[in-house]
Amino acid sequence: MIEQLRVKAREILENKTVDLVIGYEMGTRGAVRPAFIRSPADVDRLVWNEGCTHNLVTYLRTKRVPAKRGAPPLRIGVVLKACDARALNILLHENQLPRTELYLMGVVCQGMQEPTRPQANSTSGLSLSGRMQLRCQACSDRVPVVYDVLFGDSSQQPTQAVTGQRQSELEMELQRLESMSTAERYAFWEAEFERCLRCYACRQACPACYCAECTAEQLDPEWVGIGITTPEKRFFHIMRAFHLAGRCVGCDECARVCPVGVRLDLLNAWMRREVQRTFGYQAGLDATAPAPLTTFRPDENLKL
Amino acid sequence: MNFVTHTQLREWLGGLMAERSVIAPQRLQPDLVVYRAVDSTDEIAFDFGRAALSPKEFFLPATEAILTIERVRQLIAGDDGEAQPDWQIRLTDHELTRDQVLFAIRPCDAHALTALDALLLKEPVDAYYARRRQRTSLIGLACAQMGPTCFCTSLGFTPDDRQGMDVMLYTVEGGYALEVLTEKGQAVTAGLQSTPYSERLPEREWPPAQISVPPRSVWLNAFNDPYWGELADRCLSCKICAYVCPTCRCFDVRDYTVAQAPGYQKIERLRCWDACMADGYRRIAGGHNPRPEKAQRLRNRFYCKFEYYPADFGPLACVGCGRCIDNCPVNVDITEVLDAVRARS
Amino acid sequence: MPDTKYEPRIVGFLCNWCSYAGANLAGTSRIQYAPNIRIIRVPCSGRVDPLFVVKAFQAGADGVMVLGCHPGDCHYRDGNYYARRRFSLMHGFLNFLGIDERRLRVDWVSAAEGKRFADVVSEFTQQLAELGPFSKTAGGQPMPSAQSQPTVSG
Repeated sequence: MIEQLRVKAREILENKTVDLVIGYEMGTRGAVRPAFIRSPADVDRLVWNEGCTHNLVTYLRTKRVPAKRGAPPLRIGVVLKACDARALNILLHENQLPRTELYLMGVVCQGMQEPTRPQANSTSGLSLSGRMQLRCQACSDRVPVVYDVLFGDSSQQPTQAVTGQRQSELEMELQRLESMSTAERYAFWEAEFERCLRCYACRQACPACYCAECTAEQLDPEWVGIGITTPEKRFFHIMRAFHLAGRCVGCDECARVCPVGVRLDLLNAWMRREVQRTFGYQAGLDATAPAPLTTFRPDENLKL
Repeated sequence: MNFVTHTQLREWLGGLMAERSVIAPQRLQPDLVVYRAVDSTDEIAFDFGRAALSPKEFFLPATEAILTIERVRQLIAGDDGEAQPDWQIRLTDHELTRDQVLFAIRPCDAHALTALDALLLKEPVDAYYARRRQRTSLIGLACAQMGPTCFCTSLGFTPDDRQGMDVMLYTVEGGYALEVLTEKGQAVTAGLQSTPYSERLPEREWPPAQISVPPRSVWLNAFNDPYWGELADRCLSCKICAYVCPTCRCFDVRDYTVAQAPGYQKIERLRCWDACMADGYRRIAGGHNPRPEKAQRLRNRFYCKFEYYPADFGPLACVGCGRCIDNCPVNVDITEVLDAVRARS
Repeated sequence: MPDTKYEPRIVGFLCNWCSYAGANLAGTSRIQYAPNIRIIRVPCSGRVDPLFVVKAFQAGADGVMVLGCHPGDCHYRDGNYYARRRFSLMHGFLNFLGIDERRLRVDWVSAAEGKRFADVVSEFTQQLAELGPFSKTAGGQPMPSAQSQPTVSG
């Protein structure tokens, strides 16, 4: 399958369908990392495996900007998993990207593995743990909803599918939290936010966080101070979760990149579930569908 | 050289907690060990590799109130003898209330403190760093082995180096071999029960240096190389690398009103971590940003560590701990960068 | 034990055209209601960013109210419909984060409903008196815009 992907990448670069192909390549010590291919000769760097976790949509807006001022924006080919494709639909819906200047290389995904934490295991490098990521265990739609070309066999089962289980572990963790008392839940999130470094990796990795000036860094008005203290970090995460309401597609890259393991996947999973229950809406399935927080129905009866 | 059993060590640490803040490795999650102030030796993770975060936060806190300013409206006698209402300014410094003991600091992190000293203890001295440094005793713990991303041996020292420590511990059968190295170390081990260590510490053969840091001329020539643009393609401009790094020290300062009443205002001046990787780090009043491109910012990171800092202050601003390699979400690997820069000479 | 009786501190975001006018009417009608509310006038309930609520809690509020025009009567036609959508997520989210959702009250009060305004505010104040201060029940500490917390003791 990777050979077909490389062939296509070479083709679209050679015939100038695109100026840049964004995919995945092998990095150092067993890690996979985003690849930026500008020359047909480099397409053999592209790989596809269970370490291709990054959501490459996060690069599209800024990579369109040409190096030379006044030159036309770049046309970009990008490798998309199912979750990434949903993120792309969000950006298309919000008029952040022109569909016609993107070449979408959809891949049927077999699930991504959790990376190792090297300091915990003194023998591994940056390779994979062998465990499938929580979000992949819960994933039901492994075929991207939007693409120009599709690679992989959509009938093939994922390598570590959690079949026969009616609820994903993510859903069970949400319920575990909800069964706690209010004070216990507060203590749980207090410990999570206390650990946070305010490094903003979650925000930077997220394809839906593309504001030129983030609310958390705005100085006039100053929503939240510069302090790396629990109240400020709590505010930042609540703010980000709310700004993602109806827009988060559940790629969970935010949780993956966090250096101290803050459970942002749980925070956003709750919001996604609530948006689904309240508005019957799942983000990113359709670029033209009305988004829940920018539309309304006058006659609806919502619980306040 | 002395010997302490695990029990003797625990008793000693527990005794220190009465009057000092004891900072030690704590396992917050199965795979996450960080240095924290502990209240009991039960909280200490004695068995750990390298803490996920460096202990620099105990010398350069992530958020530090460096000054409190109070404006109080009072009657002040003027030259004519008449009392007029005016604002008086009262400044309060913030002092550490207790000495600190940093237990189980690794040689790389101790080297990092020595590297920071070259800047922060040089005139004009950073008083806030200096007082924490002066009031902290470093109890080092030699590493038993190198981690997969460690490269301290490429930077001129070894995982069992004693440099910078006040007391040094080596893990041996039944406990630790212990060396007191400084006066501060002597003072902090006053309550420690120990016996003479009759054996010899095994000679360690560490793996050879994997990376060689390019010399100055190579850095100067590589400044405009397109490599930096290619490297920065995948960089997310987050702050992970700078925040986990034991030598990164840049900050932001801002004043905040924390209390206000008629005739009274209390302001705290906060100094907080910041990182040159962030897009807005170098943006100045008026909106100009000398490093608007990711490539410029990422290049700055490596030049600061391997060119600017040593040129200005002496030591490299990197100790080979490998935390940036572990934590970068997109595999910007400092050892790969060093190899790439060297290859371009 | 400090000898100060707990008085709930409430921040209320009232829309200029309906709920603020309703509050005004309560005043001119000399209707008594609990004095704990600090009113912030906004043009429309649709102006109220859910983050105002979070910021109010962090600034020391024990409870927050968002009062707008009845759906269908918004001076700007549809501002309160958006507010309704946003705040339908807010209570559950606060609850999920471990903040008692009863500390947020979103309601509709028209310009003619002076009595209703007084009733809603008094009822909310009473509920907050029972819930106790925010800092105690939620375990957090109210803060102005920043709080210095050195990461080491001392």
